[in-house]
Amino acid sequence: MSVMKLSMGPQHPITGHFRFILDVDGDLVLKLEPDIGYTHRGIEKLVEKRTYLQNLPVIERVNSYCDSLGTMLGYLEVIEEVMGLNVPERAKYLRVISAELNRIASHLYFLCLTSVATGLETMLMWPINDRELILDLLERLSGQRITYTYQTIGGVRFDMPDGFKDEALKRLDYLEKRLEDYYKMLVHNHTFQLRTKNVGILKPSDAVKLGVVGPNLRASGVKVDVRKDEPYEVYDRFDFLIPTGKNGDSYDRVEIRLKEIEQSIHILRQALKDVPKGAIKTWAPPIVPKGEAYSRVEAARGEFGYYLVGDGTMKPYRLKISPPSFRNLIALPHLCRNVPLADVPIIYISLDLIPMDVDR
Amino acid sequence: MLQKIRNSLMGIKLLRRVLNWGRAWSLWSVHLETGCCGPEDMARACARYDTERFGTLPFPSLRECDLIFVTGFVTKKMAKRLKLVYDQMPEPKYVIAIGHCAISGGLWWDSYSVVQGVDEILPVDVYVPGCPPRPEAWIQGIRMLQEKITKEGMSKK
Amino acid sequence: MTEKSIEERIIEDVKARFPEDIIEAKVQRKSRISLSVKSEKIYDVGLFLRDKLGFDHIASVSGVDYITMNEFEVIYYIWSIDNKVLVGLRTKIPRDRPILKSLIDLWEGALYHEREAWEMFGINFLGHPNLSLLLLPEDWDGLPPLRKDFLLPENPQEKLEEKIKKLSGG
Repeated sequence: MSVMKLSMGPQHPITGHFRFILDVDGDLVLKLEPDIGYTHRGIEKLVEKRTYLQNLPVIERVNSYCDSLGTMLGYLEVIEEVMGLNVPERAKYLRVISAELNRIASHLYFLCLTSVATGLETMLMWPINDRELILDLLERLSGQRITYTYQTIGGVRFDMPDGFKDEALKRLDYLEKRLEDYYKMLVHNHTFQLRTKNVGILKPSDAVKLGVVGPNLRASGVKVDVRKDEPYEVYDRFDFLIPTGKNGDSYDRVEIRLKEIEQSIHILRQALKDVPKGAIKTWAPPIVPKGEAYSRVEAARGEFGYYLVGDGTMKPYRLKISPPSFRNLIALPHLCRNVPLADVPIIYISLDLIPMDVDR
Repeated sequence: MLQKIRNSLMGIKLLRRVLNWGRAWSLWSVHLETGCCGPEDMARACARYDTERFGTLPFPSLRECDLIFVTGFVTKKMAKRLKLVYDQMPEPKYVIAIGHCAISGGLWWDSYSVVQGVDEILPVDVYVPGCPPRPEAWIQGIRMLQEKITKEGMSKK
Repeated sequence: MTEKSIEERIIEDVKARFPEDIIEAKVQRKSRISLSVKSEKIYDVGLFLRDKLGFDHIASVSGVDYITMNEFEVIYYIWSIDNKVLVGLRTKIPRDRPILKSLIDLWEGALYHEREAWEMFGINFLGHPNLSLLLLPEDWDGLPPLRKDFLLPENPQEKLEEKIKKLSGG
């Protein structure tokens, strides 16, 4: 048995930048070691130098790839908890609407990347164009396509424009019909099933022990979702299900995200119907008093944890960000033991690890 | 002898114009998404904005590419690998810096691990500002590079 | 008699088991508990929390640099899936000799979290298999960056002005 060390990345055609150092014997991968840090900016140090308001665009770019609104929501929750601030009702509904739209856009982007990795080009083109429809709606709300800075301390910055509700409902109806095409083209596709079924099976006990979060944990059968366990904003007023998978393999991890898009559409319909009238923002003092808090929100990739230590000034003393991709990273070397080399991209892409999220 | 023939052929203006036109309208770009501007790279290559009609196709093998989009910030750890990727591309090659972070460090101006502008590592041809720039701005950047190539062309190298 | 909440019952159980080692235990709000323990006893308290009280899902490991008091505080945040409570298991270690026993035997998911805390603060976790650079560049030789005495540049404006001049052909 002769073992060769192979280095994959950091520039590779799937999604950058990760480097894997693989121990390979023939076609079998014995061990995988991830090498991260190619997109590390030192955000936890930078936020200590800027005021809370100046930190909004910085925190947003922790994961501006697809899910900047889910990322921001945790930061705002933790500040508002230390301050003891009450956000107006309309602002909470608008935050939920924008966060769920962002979740749909993020899952559609995930479908594109999955199709590129498995070699199905059509499913690269269809979700990206449907994602454009969602980005149009978010652009109407905030003026930007991917880095919005729409939510702020105390509420949201802009109100819903006229005609937004009808336009959004029309597009969500179209998207729901499109999901049937996605099921036919991707999930029920025989080639895709051959490549992903029984690949990278993550047992539920292992998933909990390793600290895996988000759709990866739910695909293994563990029903954990911050929106139901500890409802924040107005999630306790909506009626929605938490889909779970059966086997915990890569096929389940892809299918569960399609089901989550359906549930997000369901939440959005209820939220758009019930949005109350009122103020969109309350005045927030620039100084956060002494105190600390830990907030958890459910972003598209899983649970975001924020720990804030406030010291009575305009700048944070310490902000610790615990992103979902960093917590999911440990599943990758755990799953890539004694697997064929061709399975490594499938496992990697089904875990939905974003390097910017991991490195901050 | 071959060099003499080459020089005399290049003297023919018509031939030079045809070569420049061919080069400008078939720029294949390397798949390298360094920062937050990355998803816009995918978006501009697909059906709505469709930069493929200008000839720019994202291509996985970098030995056959001649354009590199540096989308977003470049960290010190990535800088060595970026230079390696650039060196492996065949001549003539072009660089477009996308976004404020690639031009001058942007939002990360005081970070301990971000290179303050990609032109400290690579020679940049076109700068496209924005955070992130809209796909229409990308297209303008590509068009500016195409005009630069058709005007200067072979005299670059 | 009012029914005790799950958070209060958990604190009572921990205090009954470790009467002298808990420095402070309080309920911060619903689903949030804070437990401050002596640094030598953090492994035993962690084992009790995991096996008897159901805290199985590790959320984060964070360090805080209290430079004026010359100490680091290390906080392990662990979530209990059945009880739906988050506990912040915290301890203070001296800043000039930051050593703590690693808890990866209890929660395997703490592997990369502890490595990052070592990298960013210089805290030595005894028993960790691989304390090497994770996020920083390979040739990093400065102070651990998240310490308060590592300072970021205040003003890079000079470099920016030179660049603008060069690009506009001046």
